[in-house]
Amino acid sequence: MDGRRWNELRRFQCRINTHPNSADGSSFVEQGNSKVVCIVEGPMEPPSRSQLSATEATLNISLNVTPFSSIDRKRRNKNERRIQEIITSLKRTFEQSIITDKYPRTTISITCHVLTLDGGLISAVTNSITLALIDAGIAMYDYISSVSAGFYDNTPLLDLNQLEENDLSYLTIGIVGKSEKLALLILENKIPLDKLEGVLAIAVAGGHRIRDMMDKEVRRHGELRLSKLANK
Amino acid sequence: MASPVVGKKRLSEGLTVTSKVFVRSRNGNASKIVREHYLRNDIPCLSRACQRCGELVAPDANGQLPKFILSPEPLQLKEVGRHYVVVDTNIILQAIDLLENNQIFFDVIVPQTVLDEVRNKSFPIYNRIRTLCQDNEKRFIVFHNEFCEETYVKRLDSESINDRNDRAIRQLCTWYQEHLQSSGINIVLVTNDRLNKESAVKNNITTKNLHEYVELHPNCSELRDLIPTEEFKQREKVEHFFENHYTTSRILGGLKNGTLYQGSVNISSYNFLEGEIKVASLPKPLLLIGSANLNRAFNGDQVVVELLPKSQWKKPSTMIIDDEKLNTNEDPNNEDTQISDRERRLLTQDAIDTQNDSSEVQPTGRVVGIVKRSWRLYVGQIVQNSVSKNTSNSAKSCFVKLMDRTLPRVRIRTRRANELLGQKIVVAIDSWPTTSNHPEGHFVKCLGESESVEAETEALLLEHDVEYRPFSKSVLDCLPPEGHDWVVPKDLEDAEVLRKDPLLPKRKDFRDKLVCSIDPPGCVDIDDALHAQQLPNGNWEVGVHIADVTHFVKPGTPLDAEGASRATSVYLVDKRIDMLPMLLGTDLCSLKPYVERFSFSCIWELDDDANIVNVEFNKSIIKSREAFSYEQAQLRIDDKSQQDDLTKGMRALLRLSKKLKQKRLDAGALNLASPEVKVHMDSETSDPGEVEIKKLFETNSLVEEFMLLANISVARKIYSEYPQTAMLRRHNSPPATNFEKLNDMLRVRKNMAISIESSKALADSLDRCVDPNDEYFNTLLRIMSTRAMTAAEYFSSGSYGYPEFRHYGLAVDIYTHFTSPIRRYCDVVAHRQLAGAIGYEPLDLGHRDKSKMETICKNLNKRHRNAQFAGRASIEYYVGQVMKNNESVETGYVIRVFSNGVVVLVPKFGVESLIKLDDLTSHVESVNFEEDKYQLTFTTQDGKHQRTVAVFDQVKVEVKSILDQSVGKRKAQLVLL
Repeated sequence: MDGRRWNELRRFQCRINTHPNSADGSSFVEQGNSKVVCIVEGPMEPPSRSQLSATEATLNISLNVTPFSSIDRKRRNKNERRIQEIITSLKRTFEQSIITDKYPRTTISITCHVLTLDGGLISAVTNSITLALIDAGIAMYDYISSVSAGFYDNTPLLDLNQLEENDLSYLTIGIVGKSEKLALLILENKIPLDKLEGVLAIAVAGGHRIRDMMDKEVRRHGELRLSKLANK
Repeated sequence: MASPVVGKKRLSEGLTVTSKVFVRSRNGNASKIVREHYLRNDIPCLSRACQRCGELVAPDANGQLPKFILSPEPLQLKEVGRHYVVVDTNIILQAIDLLENNQIFFDVIVPQTVLDEVRNKSFPIYNRIRTLCQDNEKRFIVFHNEFCEETYVKRLDSESINDRNDRAIRQLCTWYQEHLQSSGINIVLVTNDRLNKESAVKNNITTKNLHEYVELHPNCSELRDLIPTEEFKQREKVEHFFENHYTTSRILGGLKNGTLYQGSVNISSYNFLEGEIKVASLPKPLLLIGSANLNRAFNGDQVVVELLPKSQWKKPSTMIIDDEKLNTNEDPNNEDTQISDRERRLLTQDAIDTQNDSSEVQPTGRVVGIVKRSWRLYVGQIVQNSVSKNTSNSAKSCFVKLMDRTLPRVRIRTRRANELLGQKIVVAIDSWPTTSNHPEGHFVKCLGESESVEAETEALLLEHDVEYRPFSKSVLDCLPPEGHDWVVPKDLEDAEVLRKDPLLPKRKDFRDKLVCSIDPPGCVDIDDALHAQQLPNGNWEVGVHIADVTHFVKPGTPLDAEGASRATSVYLVDKRIDMLPMLLGTDLCSLKPYVERFSFSCIWELDDDANIVNVEFNKSIIKSREAFSYEQAQLRIDDKSQQDDLTKGMRALLRLSKKLKQKRLDAGALNLASPEVKVHMDSETSDPGEVEIKKLFETNSLVEEFMLLANISVARKIYSEYPQTAMLRRHNSPPATNFEKLNDMLRVRKNMAISIESSKALADSLDRCVDPNDEYFNTLLRIMSTRAMTAAEYFSSGSYGYPEFRHYGLAVDIYTHFTSPIRRYCDVVAHRQLAGAIGYEPLDLGHRDKSKMETICKNLNKRHRNAQFAGRASIEYYVGQVMKNNESVETGYVIRVFSNGVVVLVPKFGVESLIKLDDLTSHVESVNFEEDKYQLTFTTQDGKHQRTVAVFDQVKVEVKSILDQSVGKRKAQLVLL
């Protein structure tokens, strides 16, 4: 462990509207040493007609894990299975939480760049997408805040770093707002059923804390915008 | 490797983050390692004298608050006053025994930095210090100084890691000193590192080295001897007795390219200068001959060896070499080479002998590095003539002869050598420098007068690494609070009862079955009980009920951990060292008669030929009707007048068991023998009375057969459910080389042979080897074949392929231990896995993890072996005591012949002993040793007759017991008549 208590998050910092000129919505999330930039474009007319859906918006997510992000410099293929899996599950999550039928015949394209990676890949990406979507002004039901939690020697642990992820079995959840509804639950290895409850409980608590921090940042940014408007 | 870049950021919540970046290149590529490190200011000091830290505590995941352990009124000593101790890494590594001693070192703070260093250096010591920190008696705490904002130190540019760590320790001392200033408690840093000490003194930290710290204690004279030997005084003329070991890189390289071999040393029990090492890539073991080639390796060490040139290849020596014969006149203060000269002479003679016929030479090797020492605590006795007569009170060197004959004597320095003469003492070994002929050690504790029962028992427990201390409080806390009043709940539907034990409805109620147990007389830990009843369709329902230990021993509790580490109960002649606390073993779990007990039942439906029609496993409740001894059960079965259902059931069991046995024997199960004896104790004086060979009844094999059947059934069940981690037991077929010598002896002496292609062939050939003139011969042969067998071992099913699961001795394809959970931990694991397999309760993670299961198995195997050795040693000791009183003439058998002695086994006492040539005859020159015929011819003492002694010969020997002065061990002395 790195000096945190079992139920403490890593350092969490976020910024929204980081790229005001190049995108409709953008965000930057730092969870411990994992850093993710997310850019949202849209809702816009889709590049090809085939992707179009008459009733709701289509989501396009791309995830770029930069070669310099992890311990060894390694170029990752965009079509790598693992990345594709993550993208699929992210897509499902956000299709449910964006009010997609508000934007028929459009696409929303989401691009994430992972700058450094130190565990919690999915959770950092999810959080950054939430923030960028908010920044883009896309209607959502609520925040999706995500965090990982693992299980070691009868103790549940929150927000694992890379070292811990390698050794422990862990799950990542995405929580809808302040509720206890899960929009995302990924568990790639085994956690005994009777211990799962405890792990989920701390993950939910951690998710709520992250939501608060994201909310604070959104409000800070909103006030900044307002004051700018007022000054005009 | 580039130097780390350290960044520091402050967080709003008061946590501080340090990010470290290491860039190090490994095989050419650059890899970047980024670690986060959170510093905090809410780490409590855990001192009960501190008023400030009480608010800082936060509960852990189980809702428990950390306990404040350090006493508010710590030990007061002159010079340093009331104080807490901070220990440095070198102290823990060198003097862990002293830290564990309960006369010194209370209220100790172990910095996290130190703990990490210890873990990297030696994992066993790390575990010991962790245990120390966990039990509160000595008030040890770990302070996480690396995570504390005030005590974290950044590594400077020109600083080595060691220097930084030392500085971190000093920083911690300063912090504690300031923190506890108001309560007037001092901090003493104990370190043996001179540089660290000097710097600490500069920073106004009270610092002592181990010597100085011990001297402060009023009872220091006793403790002083416990201090490990430090760097020895520099001698002007340094003479090297041994070659240096190779460097690590050279060893690794050599192992990789196949020029060096790794293995564990096995010293011959007849010749302490000759060792064998099994190397996977060579068919025969490598020989290591002479102390120079052994190069300081101990029995059991993991070593790296290199091959010697073919010209130096030799045959295993046929000499018996004893340490005492060689090193009697050595002066421990003076390194003298004359002894090794003598040693060398013996060896040259040996070499000449063997070079004459080079038919059977074995490759020899030389130790070039020691990977892992097998050092532990050893029991021994001070060698009388190594103690100088000078009575001054200064520390003197003397030799300790260890109980284990395969080990060299150890040099210790003590002031109390004269006091300790004739006592059994425990020593620890510190080092074996190249400049010394003997390993250096230090005195740990005294067990008492040699030959007293207490000292001997303790010594043999220690020597076999058996944990014999009483159970700790945390373990006893896991027992049911009702204690002996615990009963099986009366009303199984009662809500209160169900709330306590929600699994209760899943138990089957077998209280109406006529269950009884059959055990050795006087048995109190009754593991198993049986019943049989005829079914309407003519088949038999047979049930084996095993004590439900896992109902009380839940995984993850201290009780479970203790059981896992003890692994087995140890049976000594006069004493039993339990695996589980008495309350469970002899009462709550034990399937005592007339009371209701929880059990784990295995119920078969068997047809009349004892074929299994159906099998079912259930947790259950039973009520045993009677507890028989083997003899009582036999009498009851044989008594025709008894016609009640219980007796009828027992008769059915007996009949079925005979069929089972026959089937097993047909499949090729071995019937081996060991010279087991039992010592009768006089109940009044508890003096050993007489020795008898164990008697067997039919009922013995009744119980055995059904236990085997249960074990096999359970093994199949848990293997089908957990193919990767099932706890099983296997018995390898013995390698042919083990039987080579025995077969050769048989061919030469008796013109017989045993075949070993399969266990069936072996069983049959053993049956054929009968000497009409000597009915014991067959048993003797079985004893000797047993010794050639490999030992059965526990394993988890993921470690081997299915064909290798075979149990050779029992001739079954899969086997486990299930039937004695009170005294074996393997059975506890098997119980849990079976409970998981039948869906009774989910299986604990630890028993589903392959690597964890492997660790458990490794420990089980080790403990099991040790327990057996300890049991045998105990019998040996008592047999010695019996023989002390009655010397007699007995029949013995020659089982090995050397060029200078023979080994004789006396079945009546189950002892074997060496008769040295010097004791056989004074005409040494007349001796003719014919190795290929396994016989030794010599002229008898009176010089008139020629006498020939060969392997398998029946001889009359006079048995008496003598005390070996140097080892303090009574052993059987045989005199050939």
